[in-house]
Amino acid sequence: MRNHLKIHCILPVILLSTVFLSACAFNDSLPPSNVNEIKTDHEDVSKTGSGSENTAKSAVDFDHELDDYTPKKDHYNFYFTYKTIHPWWDAVALGMEDAQRQYLEKGITITYEYMAPEAVSAEDQIKRLSEAKDRDFDVIGVDVADDEIISPILDEMVDSGIKVMTFSSSDASEGCKRIAYVGNTHNYEDGAALTEALCEKLEYRGKVAILVGSVGDPCHEDRARGAKDTIAKYPDMKIVATEYDKDSVDLAYELTISILKDNPDLDGIICCNMSNPVGAARAVTETGSNTVIVGMDHDQEALHYLKDGVIYCLGVQDCYSIGFDTIQTAVKIADGNKPGDLFREKSAEITTVIYQEDAAIMLELLYGDD
Amino acid sequence: MKKLITKKNFILTAVVGSIILTAMIISNAILSSRQTVSATNEAVSEVSSFYLEAMADRRSKTITNLINSNFDHMEKAVAYINTENIGSEDELRATLGNIKALLSLDRFALVDDDKIVHTQYTTYTGGSRHTFLSDEKMNEKNVSTVSIYGSSKQLCLAAPTPELVIAGKKYEASFVQIDIREIVDLLAFEDEGRTYFGLYNKNGENISGTELGPYISRHNLFVAMKDVIDENTLNENRDNFSNAVEGSITFTANGAEETLVYVPIEQTDWMMVVLIHESVIHDRIRSISEKNLLTSKRQVIITVLFSGLFFLILLFMLKTLLKKDLEAEKENSNNFRNMASTDSLTGVRNKHAYSEAEAHLNQKIRQNEIDKLAIVVCDINGLKIVNDTLGHAAGDKLIKDACSLICENFTHGAVYRIGGDEFVVILQEKGFDTMSEVINEINRIIEDNIKKKEVVIAIGHSELTKQDQMVHDIFERADQMMYHRKQELKQMGAPTRPQ
Repeated sequence: MRNHLKIHCILPVILLSTVFLSACAFNDSLPPSNVNEIKTDHEDVSKTGSGSENTAKSAVDFDHELDDYTPKKDHYNFYFTYKTIHPWWDAVALGMEDAQRQYLEKGITITYEYMAPEAVSAEDQIKRLSEAKDRDFDVIGVDVADDEIISPILDEMVDSGIKVMTFSSSDASEGCKRIAYVGNTHNYEDGAALTEALCEKLEYRGKVAILVGSVGDPCHEDRARGAKDTIAKYPDMKIVATEYDKDSVDLAYELTISILKDNPDLDGIICCNMSNPVGAARAVTETGSNTVIVGMDHDQEALHYLKDGVIYCLGVQDCYSIGFDTIQTAVKIADGNKPGDLFREKSAEITTVIYQEDAAIMLELLYGDD
Repeated sequence: MKKLITKKNFILTAVVGSIILTAMIISNAILSSRQTVSATNEAVSEVSSFYLEAMADRRSKTITNLINSNFDHMEKAVAYINTENIGSEDELRATLGNIKALLSLDRFALVDDDKIVHTQYTTYTGGSRHTFLSDEKMNEKNVSTVSIYGSSKQLCLAAPTPELVIAGKKYEASFVQIDIREIVDLLAFEDEGRTYFGLYNKNGENISGTELGPYISRHNLFVAMKDVIDENTLNENRDNFSNAVEGSITFTANGAEETLVYVPIEQTDWMMVVLIHESVIHDRIRSISEKNLLTSKRQVIITVLFSGLFFLILLFMLKTLLKKDLEAEKENSNNFRNMASTDSLTGVRNKHAYSEAEAHLNQKIRQNEIDKLAIVVCDINGLKIVNDTLGHAAGDKLIKDACSLICENFTHGAVYRIGGDEFVVILQEKGFDTMSEVINEINRIIEDNIKKKEVVIAIGHSELTKQDQMVHDIFERADQMMYHRKQELKQMGAPTRPQ
């Protein structure tokens, strides 16, 4: 709790800005908090060394129930497209399937397509959207591959009467006409929080590298910005490399090997997506480096590296809740509702920073793996 | 040898023998009971292993049957789809819904050649979610375990569908995913918590989420057991898991002995592990054995008590018998002694007894231990005449009468018949003190008897003087006096033997 407060103290300007902007976007009847949460149990790990079951369990909420909204139809058909085929979005899919099952129990059939390319591609996304817009879906949901390229497309779709929402990891650009966004709204803060943990671990001096996912991917880029801004606060810290792995573990590994070769005295690596920390940890393990790794997400291999102490901390997003809330929000949007009492324009999904002592519980919780 | 067989040795032998016999009975009972328990335990171990193996086999076959049954249903489903003229995604979903109703394949899905998964409600790109969709695994039936984020593991059965084309689109595979929790429900049966089972993968990870007893619980089997079995056994069983070889492990954890048996499950890389607390069986057997032992102990105690009681009675009887024998022997001895010292006609002591008494008194006189001693000599008058004229029977009667007269008057003296017609009375203490009165009285009676022609006795007496060296000195004076008296009685008319 002390460090929970500490994190919020570290990021007061950012959070207050978010509160302010969000408050401006909503009317007075909104729920009191629209702040996207970043949780951390970082309480000087070296001192406490105690795993927190509650921290791990609260990181991902599998216990969802549909709210009391009564859908107007008994059948909905949605189309969702996300950035790339990757386990992170499989976790989102499970939350969506849970919501679909619960609607089915209420006699409401939800059908949907949930499609992505093998690699992140704005062009591929444009192609998918152009096909989907002619197929009479109740709602089209988009996990934006590149906000600058995709946002205008979404505006066009909205203008043509199609109900469009964004979801999961990346929203469209500010001012986009999409109806709502369900997903991580604090990628910048996630990047900053992970970097702050790394800086504290390194006692605010040393050389660090930043691994990013795909160029133009809003969430990856936001986290990288958060990381860079945080490093900039500490004069004794220096960024020696910034590389993009295109959401490929193998490329993340190769990039890390290369960075370590060029910078054998590298102190830390900040990983901005799910594939980064796995590739980086493989490289660090292989080379025997003492480089401290901080990264994103819940990849099973990454959690094992966390458990083994190769990775220092991971920011775990609640993918399951994102998926569940996406379906609920899509139903409300399909019925013609706008953001307000029924749903927010931007959701408040959480990211929790977990440490070595949380890894075993998280592995068991997410994968039944001990 | 005869000297060794004494009464003491006999009792000692009886007691020691009894103790040895009792100890042998007890030790035999305990030994027998322990052997029974040991033999039972061995039998229990063998039976429990056999029992566990049978349980594991049965459950393993249940899963294999489930897999085969699902593959059959999948074939039927694909055959059914081929008969339908499906023209759109919506029609495909409706058909998949029908299959669900017809064949109870809850999570039946098709995969097209773009690796897009088609289910009753969703269509999704599944390359990362279903690793079995890789090309090299799609040529034949495939059984794999899938770890689902936030969910339990699932058994995934996939089969290629080389001939399947829907709306001009080629489909490569069909698959179903069976939640392991459903399999667990299928395998569970009521055993009152005595046995546990779990599904494990090759590295010992629990994939069923079931507790394998309180010690192993849901942990990795080999991680949990590294502290309770030696390294070689651990490695041996690890190898068995890796090579899908069945086996068993017995270990003790938290004071309880437990046995687990594992068998590979066909078509999967799983192991079915069944565990039982041997203590459950052992406790029951031990309870029975303890009851038996208690019964044996009671029997032994009762036997010992009865044996002890029996030996006590025996000893008591032996002692009584010996005492009786001793008393009889003593009585016989006394009889013999009395017979030797008693006059058979009168019943008073004879001359032999008088000689013993005389010797005894002589010793006292020599040691100056006696001062009141008198000897009375009595002689029957006319016995010869009676014997000669009236016969020995009359003579004997005369002797008896004379003896009675003497005994009735010298009530405090010892009367001896020392000759055919001669008696001696030894007087001491009170007899000595009353001697004069008694002699006067008896002489008066005798004098009366002369007139009545009844028994007449001449009496002489004398007391111990300081000059006397022995009883005979007194006797001599008394005998002299008796002769004088005999003369006096003759003059009074008493019968005398002819001169």
